[in-house]
Amino acid sequence: MSAPSANQEAVHRTDRARTSLWLWILFSACAFATVALFFIPAFIIRPFRYQAPRPLLLAMALRQRAPLGTLITGVACFFLAFALWKTVGRWRKVLIVFALLIVTFSAVMARQNYFEWMFHPIAGPQFVAQSESKLDAKEMILAVRLGNNARAYPISQMAYHHILNDVVAGVPIAVTY
Amino acid sequence: MWTRTVSGRALHFYLAGINNQNFLMRDEETGTWWQQITGKAIYGPLQGAALELVLSDELTFGEWRSESPAGQVLSPIAKYTKEYDPNWEPDVAKLPVVISFPGTELKSRDVVIGVTINGAARAYPWETFAKQSPVLDRVNGAPLLLVLGPDGKSFRVFVSRVDGRDAEFFLQTNSSPDDKSENKTWTLLDTLIDSQWNFQGCATSGPAQGKCLDRVPALKDYWFDWRNYHVDTTVYKH
Repeated sequence: MSAPSANQEAVHRTDRARTSLWLWILFSACAFATVALFFIPAFIIRPFRYQAPRPLLLAMALRQRAPLGTLITGVACFFLAFALWKTVGRWRKVLIVFALLIVTFSAVMARQNYFEWMFHPIAGPQFVAQSESKLDAKEMILAVRLGNNARAYPISQMAYHHILNDVVAGVPIAVTY
Repeated sequence: MWTRTVSGRALHFYLAGINNQNFLMRDEETGTWWQQITGKAIYGPLQGAALELVLSDELTFGEWRSESPAGQVLSPIAKYTKEYDPNWEPDVAKLPVVISFPGTELKSRDVVIGVTINGAARAYPWETFAKQSPVLDRVNGAPLLLVLGPDGKSFRVFVSRVDGRDAEFFLQTNSSPDDKSENKTWTLLDTLIDSQWNFQGCATSGPAQGKCLDRVPALKDYWFDWRNYHVDTTVYKH
C-alpha cells in the first residue's frame, strides 16, 4: 500500500473544515436561540415601555415555550461545544466558554419569574379582626363582602404585592391592584 | 377583583409581567396569560376565557370599619413592610406613562371612575365627581347614582331605581363641609318616595326603609388605562 497522496490529505482537511464549519453554525444557532428565548420577551415586557399588541403576543409565546426550548437548545449547545473543543485554538475556546455562560444564564432566567423578585407574592395570607388592625382610619383599602364575610386589603400592601389568591366564604378570589 | 374558578377548577395567579402599565398574570395550573384590568385570558391554553368580576369597594379603613364590625383585615407581611409605600398614590401618579390619547378630553394621569353598564362604558373624572357628588347620570338607559362617601375618599355607584322607578337623590349634611370628623351626619334623600339612604345604598328611614339600591361595579383608574381597554368609553361632562 502506498502512503496517502497529498491530494487525499487535502480532501480530508477540506472535509474536517466543512464539518467544523457546520458545527460552528449549529452551535451559534443554538446559542442564539437560547439567548433569544429569554431576552426577546424580557426586552418586550419592560416596565415603563410601550407594548404593542403583536410584539406582546410574541413575548408571551416565547416566554411560554422558553423553559422547554432553552433546555433543548442549551443542552445542544453543550454537546456542540464538546465536539468543537479539540478542533479549535485558545481564542475560540474562550469564545465557546463565554457563549456557554450566556446560554446558561439565559436558560436559568427563562425559569425565573423576576417580576416576583421585584414584587414578592403573599404566600400564606394572615388576617386580623378589624378591631385589632393598626391601620389608620384614612388609609384606603379594597373591600369585598361575600355572604357574611367582609375582608379588607390595604391598598398600600396590594400596590406592592399586586395579587393575592384568597378564599372568602368558600369562594376562591383573586384580589388584584 | 375576580373569581378564580374557571370551568370548575380553581386557578392560582401570579404576577408575570406588564402590559402598558397594567399587569399581566399567569395561572400556575395552565400557564395562561391574563390581563389584570379585563380579567381576560389573552394567551395560552385558556385564551378567550374570562374571569367573573367580584363586586368590590375602594373605601377608607374608617368607613369600612364602621360598616363591617366582624370584618377581617389582611395583615402586613413583616418581611416586606419596608417595601410598602404609605405614599403610594402620589408616588404612582409620578411614574411615566407609555400610552396617551391625545385629543381626548382628559390627561393621561387624570383619575376617573370607570363604569360599564348595558354594554357601554363611561368615565367620571374624579375631580368633577368629588365636587358634584351625588352625581346622577344615565348610561345606555341605566340610571346611575355615584356617591362620594362621608369621608370624602370612599365612593360607590348604584342603579338609582327604587321599586322599578327612577329616583333622584340629593345629599343632606347636618354639619359644615369643613367638618372632617367621622361623626358628621350624612344622608341621601330621594325625591321619589322621600326616604333617607346611607352610603351603603340602603334606606334607613321613610317608606323605602330596609330596601337597598342595586350596586354597579366601578373602577377607580387612570384615564390612559381606562381608555386603553375601553376604546368606546364616553366621558361624563357637566
